[in-house]
Amino acid sequence: MKKIDRAKADQYFKEKNRYMALYLVIWLVSSFGVVLFAESLSTITLNGFPFHYFMGAQGSIVIFIILLYVNAKVSDGIDKKYGIDESKNEQISYGKTLDH
Amino acid sequence: MDTQFLVSTSIILLTFALYIGIAVYNKAKATSDFYVAGRGVPPIFNGMAIGADWMSAASFIGLAGTVMILGYDGLAYIMGWTGGYLLLTFLLAPQLRKYGRYTVPEFIGDRYNSHTARVIAAICTIIISFTYSIGQLSGSGVVIGRLFEIDAKVGTMIGVVLIAFYAAFGGMKGITWTQVAQYVVLIIAYLIPVIFMSLQITGNPAPWLSYGELVGKIGELDRELGVSEYFAPFTNGTKWQFMALMFTLMAGTAGLPHVIVRFYTVSTMKAARWSGAWALLFIGLLYLSAPAYAAFSRFILMTKVAGSQISDLPSWTKSWVDTGKLQVADANGDGILQWKEIIISNDIVVMATPEIANLGVFVIGLVAAGAMAAALSTAGGLMIAISSSFAHDIYYRVFKPNATEKNRLAVARWSIVIATVLAGIVALNPPGVITQIVAWAFALASGTFFPALLLGVWWKRSNAQGVIAGMLVGLGVTLTYIFLARSGVTLFGIIDTGAGVFGATAATIANIVVSLMTKAPSQKIQEEVMDLRYPEQMTFKDGEVWVNDDVDFKA
Repeated sequence: MKKIDRAKADQYFKEKNRYMALYLVIWLVSSFGVVLFAESLSTITLNGFPFHYFMGAQGSIVIFIILLYVNAKVSDGIDKKYGIDESKNEQISYGKTLDH
Repeated sequence: MDTQFLVSTSIILLTFALYIGIAVYNKAKATSDFYVAGRGVPPIFNGMAIGADWMSAASFIGLAGTVMILGYDGLAYIMGWTGGYLLLTFLLAPQLRKYGRYTVPEFIGDRYNSHTARVIAAICTIIISFTYSIGQLSGSGVVIGRLFEIDAKVGTMIGVVLIAFYAAFGGMKGITWTQVAQYVVLIIAYLIPVIFMSLQITGNPAPWLSYGELVGKIGELDRELGVSEYFAPFTNGTKWQFMALMFTLMAGTAGLPHVIVRFYTVSTMKAARWSGAWALLFIGLLYLSAPAYAAFSRFILMTKVAGSQISDLPSWTKSWVDTGKLQVADANGDGILQWKEIIISNDIVVMATPEIANLGVFVIGLVAAGAMAAALSTAGGLMIAISSSFAHDIYYRVFKPNATEKNRLAVARWSIVIATVLAGIVALNPPGVITQIVAWAFALASGTFFPALLLGVWWKRSNAQGVIAGMLVGLGVTLTYIFLARSGVTLFGIIDTGAGVFGATAATIANIVVSLMTKAPSQKIQEEVMDLRYPEQMTFKDGEVWVNDDVDFKA
């Protein structure tokens, strides 16, 4: 084990959280935000649906799924950028778990 | 015996043989196999297992019917039950995986270093999972009962025997692969009817693209009939109820112990993130199809069934009228069945649709098998959660730390059998309809575990006294609100199914206030919480961040 600069470690953490905060804002707007303004959004039509109904039945779910894949992919990228190696993680994680 | 019965029964028996075969083949040999499947399940298969674990009788049988009857207001279930995966995958799953325990109560007990917190969490797990499994068992009772044309109570008992057998025998390892098979069965069973209906009605085999126009048309039909438009918002409850229900289902999803434990079965934090993504994709296939199901069924009922002679109704109506779930009384005595004269229970929409759309015996049997897969897989996961809370968190961690592995497995298996039988007894006379019972389980999870886990992972200052106060206050407030709302006392029009919003708020405040009023957790625990911010190769120790020697850390 070797010590690293705390500021650099925090930079890793902050970078991850910045993306996550962005995803959660999109999540909030596409679910609660659309519901809050459902009446006024219902005048817009998309693929035959009133917009508020489209978001509830399809739009929000598709956005959620995309956000989860983007998160997984971007997090992998950040790990790689900082030199973290997944196969090593697997070895460590296997040995490190609390086994009863 | 008619052809329909023979076809349905053989499909169900065939799928059951498959599940039991898989359970026997993967019989648990060690404790870690039993609880977390040896921690080596690949993310994509774990995603399918999460999907089957997650999609219960309420999703498979009840969801499309709920949307059909409530219109837009039913979509709170769709958004709530999918949106929670973001909270779970971003804020909890990878961090909980790095902590590396077997169960949720074990995380809470060790993170807060308190046996009291551990026991309260174990009891909450048992209450939540038990409530949830009552809904599953009564759901499987309805399906088995209708299929074998026996009383639903006898059907429930058959379900109890099946669940007790494979959950007790296989443990988590058996359940994982059984659930993968169950996911495949249930999603095929759900998609085939909706694809065929889409072809029949719109000529397009992709229901997701084709039913938009139909929703608009149903709105027009509603206007002609003088009923409120299908897509009009907040006609069956206030806007605040819609958002409270959505929040309850989201936060409850992130706090459900039997779902969280599935993230322990993968190998790393990265695998936990990918599991969450695959899980929501697989779950999304069903949740994107449910509103299409609802629209097609409603359209067929409005245009083909309503308006026909009462003496000339299709034959399927009779068998459902006999069950008491469908009423087609000619109220105004003109000999014609009007739309307003049809009263349909939301629990039968999916089960009856293949008959409504005339899809043939094979599809009807397949849907019955899919519904059984959904009920059994969720009930199996719930039983594992109950048994691990009891056998692992209470019996082993608190009372008998020197129990042998064999002894602990025996306790785990017996607690599954006993819990299943007890839940089955309650399910014979369920205290509410299936979706309602399930919503209570979510409200309890969002009022107890969601704040405890969120603060446990993200706020190192949260301590044992705080989490104990939080869980007790959350449990108390949620239960009190459910009972008050059922007796007619509500705030902002929020009914019992939205109770989680009050429970979660009260629990969070209690946790923060009590934590700040008492002593901070030990240095060791605070460092363990800091450690959850970093991947496996990085460690937080003595106020510094360390990496393994072979890592070339770049910044």
